[in-house]
This record gives sequence, structure tokens and C-alpha cells, in this order.
Amino acid sequence: MSILVDKSTRVLVQGITGKIGRTQTDYMLKEGTKIVAGVTPGKGGTEISGIPVFDTAKEATLHFQIDLSVLFVPAGVAKDSVIEAIDAGIKIVVLITEHTPVHDEMFIKAYAEKKGALLIGPTTPGIIVPGQCKIGILPANMFCPGDVGIISRSGTLAYEVAANLCSNGIGQSTVVGMGADMVAGTNLVEILKLFNEDDKTKAVVLIGEVGGSQEEEAASFVKKEMKKPVVAYIAGASAPPGKRMGHAGAIIEGGKGSAKSKIDSLLSAGVRVAKMLDEIPLIIKEIK
Amino acid sequence: MRIQEYEAKEIFKESGIAVPPGKVAKNDTEARDVSKELGLPVVIKAQVLVGGRGKAGGIKIVKSLEEVEQATCEILSKDIKGYQASKVLVEKKLDIKHEFYCGITIDRTKGCPIIMLSSEGGINIEEIAEKSPDKIFSLKCDPLSPIYAFQIIDFVKKLGLHGKILLKVSQIVENLYKVFIKYDGIIAEINPLVITNDDDVLCADAVFQIDDSAMFRHPLLEKKKYDEMTPRTIRFNKKGATYVQLKGNIGLICSGAGLAMATMDTIKTIPALSPANFLETGGGITAELMEDCMEIILEENDLEAIFINLYGGINPIHEGAKGVAKVIRDKKLKIPVVAKALGNKQEETWKIFEEAGVYVYKSSDTQGAVRYLAEIIGGKE
Repeated sequence: MSILVDKSTRVLVQGITGKIGRTQTDYMLKEGTKIVAGVTPGKGGTEISGIPVFDTAKEATLHFQIDLSVLFVPAGVAKDSVIEAIDAGIKIVVLITEHTPVHDEMFIKAYAEKKGALLIGPTTPGIIVPGQCKIGILPANMFCPGDVGIISRSGTLAYEVAANLCSNGIGQSTVVGMGADMVAGTNLVEILKLFNEDDKTKAVVLIGEVGGSQEEEAASFVKKEMKKPVVAYIAGASAPPGKRMGHAGAIIEGGKGSAKSKIDSLLSAGVRVAKMLDEIPLIIKEIK
Repeated sequence: MRIQEYEAKEIFKESGIAVPPGKVAKNDTEARDVSKELGLPVVIKAQVLVGGRGKAGGIKIVKSLEEVEQATCEILSKDIKGYQASKVLVEKKLDIKHEFYCGITIDRTKGCPIIMLSSEGGINIEEIAEKSPDKIFSLKCDPLSPIYAFQIIDFVKKLGLHGKILLKVSQIVENLYKVFIKYDGIIAEINPLVITNDDDVLCADAVFQIDDSAMFRHPLLEKKKYDEMTPRTIRFNKKGATYVQLKGNIGLICSGAGLAMATMDTIKTIPALSPANFLETGGGITAELMEDCMEIILEENDLEAIFINLYGGINPIHEGAKGVAKVIRDKKLKIPVVAKALGNKQEETWKIFEEAGVYVYKSSDTQGAVRYLAEIIGGKE
């Protein structure tokens, strides 16, 4: 088992005919991902790597059962494309696109919640179940099958942590990138809940970074409900503080957001916090 | 993108938010002319993008034209928390009866705009928020719907206002929310929001930050932003890369902000090493972008080595390696370049790096790569 996806998940690729869409579709197919259709407006009737392309997501859903859509679309149309996928009845939407305007992010997050869809991203590397399927841009050779779940706000750090675990003989059940933007469609807590219920996940690595208060909220969830051991790493302890202007950010975060605040709340929730990246495999070996 | 107080006030004013009479000035003569036109006393305010400028001597109240000139010269020649103002805003001094706080920003966890109000505005608002959070009222807004006047009036009533003042303050909050939405705001703040002795309500100080990712919707502001940048920074910006100069001996190029921060944290564990910059490429690596990355960090003189930490997920790292190799050859680079690059097309990438004389570290652990970097630098001494 895994969370969110597995080898039977039927996938739509929006933005399949672009350079990134084409390249990443081939990488996903190579990992066994069941891509059934693609969408690019104006390219309906063509094919990419044997996958039929439609003009709209709605049309694709008339021909195929689709469980998930992964998006490689330009930032300017990200909002439009996410709404299109949700309105076509697709229940999981993974938005890879970087630089989506934050006001659009707020809108699609609220829209997905209202319509009962799960939005992962934007700026997410996607989801991988090693050996079964890969949604998004994660390089498959950094991962290996196993029973540790990874949830990360940073894409490339998730790759590094997984690769470090693999060199220590520890594989992963599912790896989920949350997306590193100001607003994420799905927060850490929601993914932790899924890992908590997944019988194939024995421990979870949580990779956070400075900014926002998602880690603090994750800590309070772990304290109250998490049945499995959690190891965390927070990037940015030595990051230079941005030149601050205005007070609104500080007021709303109320002291949260710094590496120290995150580490302290995770520690007080019983989470083991790795100071350096290479401590993660060692701690996993100890607690599993 | 953060804009200066006077620019924010121009936008606010256009949107129906009253601001004190005033004008921007580049030198003492201009400031004197503006002051004559406005009538004394006036306030001279440094235009710098940093908080706490008042406490750093960047704001002066003056009563005579001689004082205007003197204060302007002083402010323009002063270091204000590491920044230098090239302009001052000259404004008519207000007769203040009361100062409120009004700020709008984004609640990152909930993912919605949040309006905050307090009846105790001014420079100590963060302390108030920390010590007596009950004095800050907040309203989370639904991103799917507009906000209605009655909702705002209902909210503003929490400040204990009524009558005309209630309506005036509510109107300003509503207009500020409209500006926030229209211009893709990240922070829109009026602090203080002033009530004068004549019961006028004005925005005495303004902070406005606009989402960089939404600049394509605001071409005039985008043009202004690019006017102040070098061609390379513009290319950087358009490709989504981020560069921050620091003081250190190791030039750094990383793909992803998280990886860049973790790499910096790791480098700092070795006393002889410190990062000379923060540079994250984003997901748009090309040979040209990596050339730009190399050149921008090589502008720093005291580098002892360059450390590259890349993953090939969305990024074609083999293309990026070509750009690095080109700069090494063109500049006949003397300092060592250490690279860790994994993911799609890693073997091809390693080959290009090695042919250009780059030290390639082929395992995934950044700590190991940083230790390798330290050995190489040590060995050269």
C-alpha cells in the first residue's frame, strides 16, 4: 500500500505537449505510471508517446476514467487549469508549475476544498511510490521501495533525503512534495494523517523549512494523534533574515516561522529533529 | 516587489484612501520648494525599503525652511539600517488625535487574505501583538468571494468606533482590501491610520508589497521593477532564480531553496568555510542560466571555491553543466569548482563537469560533498 496513488492510478497530464510536459511524461511512463490521456488546448486529436491528447480535461474524462491530473502548464493559466480539472470531476490535482501568483493559489486552494478535491502544490515535485508509479518530476533513481514515508516542503531536499536513506538500505513507501510556495494546496498535517493510517508506512520523515507555521501545526497534530515515529529536519537555521518591512507578517505569525520555533515545537511533540541531513538515516534506524 | 512609501501612497490615493498632502524630493532645494508650497511645519521622511527608519533617524519634523534643507541633507547622507535613501517624502504635519493600525496580508496556513486592525497603531504594534494579542482584531476573508461593506463595518466596530468615524475608517479598510486584491498584494499596511483633530481619517504611513509572480498582470509596475535592475538580474528574475549576496569564501549554486538553505547550514559547520551567497536556480536551468549564475558569483573577489549542488528532476542538469564548463574555460578559472549533481542524466552531467576540471562528488550526502570541498581547499594551501 501507499498513500494517494499506486500503480493502478489513472493519470491525466495537462500541458502534455510542452517541452517539460513531453519530457516528464516519458520519465513517468518509464516508472510504470498509468498515464491514460493528455490535455493541451488546440492539440486535441494528436498523440504524445502513444498517449491521446484532448483539447479539454472534460473531453478526456468522457473517454477515460481519470483519478488524478498532473499539471505542467504555464503559471499564468495554472488557476484556470486547476479549476478545469476539478470541474471535470478529477479528485486529485498535482500542480507542478512554479511561480503561480499567490492570489491564484488562495483561490484554487479554497476551490478544491469546496469541491472536495485534493490539490497538491503548486511548485511541488509531485508524488512517488518507488517501484510502482511516479507523478511529477522527481528523479526516480534517487528513490527505492520500503516503509518510510517522506513529506517535504522542499523538492530537491526530498530527493536528497530519500537517496541518503537508500544508501543506508532504507526504502520509502510514498514520498510527497508539498510545494514550497507561500500557500500550499494541501498542508503537512493532511499528509501526515494519511501516513498515520497507511499500514505500509512505519515511520515518517518530515522535511520543513523556515517561513509559515505548517511545521508548528504538524507538531501539534503529532503530539495529539500520530501513532508512528516522526523524524524532522528544518532547513534554513542559518538563513539570513529577509529585510523586513511592515508588521503584518510578524503579527500574524506571532513568533512562528523561524527554524528555532519550528524545531522547539517539534521537539516538544516528541519528534526527533535531525540537526544535519545525514543524521536522518541514523535516527530512522534507531526508532524503527 | 516592495515599493517605496510615496509610490504606495500614490496607488492608495488613486483608490480613494486619503493621504497627507505631500511630494517626493531628491535634494534640499526640491524639499524647500515642496515645503513652501505645503506650508510649515512638515515631516521629512527617508524613502528606504526597511522597517524602523523613524527610530534610525530617517524621519524628522521641521518648522522652518532652513531646518527643511538641513534635515533633508542629513537624511539623504545617512546610513539607515544599512540603506541609503535617494529621495525624501515631504508631507504636511498632521494634528493627530488617534493612531490605528490596519494591515492586510496572507494567512499562509489557511490560504486566505487576513485583515488586521488595532486601536493602538504606531511603531510598537508588534510588541502590542505579542504582549496583548486581544488588542489585535483579525478577519479572514474568503478567496472565492468579494468582501461586502457590511462585513467590514461589522469588523471595524470592534475598534469601538461609531458614527462618521466608523464609516470613514470602514471605507479605508474596504479600499485597502480592493487595492490588495487588484494589485496582487502580499502586504498592504497603513500604520498609523490617523484620525486628526478635525476628524479626518488618513493613511500616514504606507507599506505595500506586490507578488513577484503576478507581475505579468501589472505591466507598468513590472517595467518599473526592471528599470532598476541590471540585464543579468532581469534574465535571472525572468527565469525564476534567486540570488542574495552574503559575506563568505564559497560561491554557491543550488537547485531549490530548501537544498540551498540546507547546503548553507552544512557549509557553516566547517569553520574555514562560509557561503558567499545564496543562489537557487529554480526549475528553469539552461546552459545560459548556469553561465549567468557562475558570472554573478564570480563578481565576488575573495572566493576560494565554488560549490554546486544540483538535482535533475525538472532541471536538465546536463545542459546546466555545459554552461558551468563554458565559464571555467572562457575565464580560465583558477579556483576549484566542486559539484554534486544527481538525478536524470547524471552520468552525462558528470562527464561534462569532469572534462572541464570540476571535482565531482557522486554520492547523495551533501555533508560528504562539503567535507570533500574542505579537503580540496585545504590541499591547495
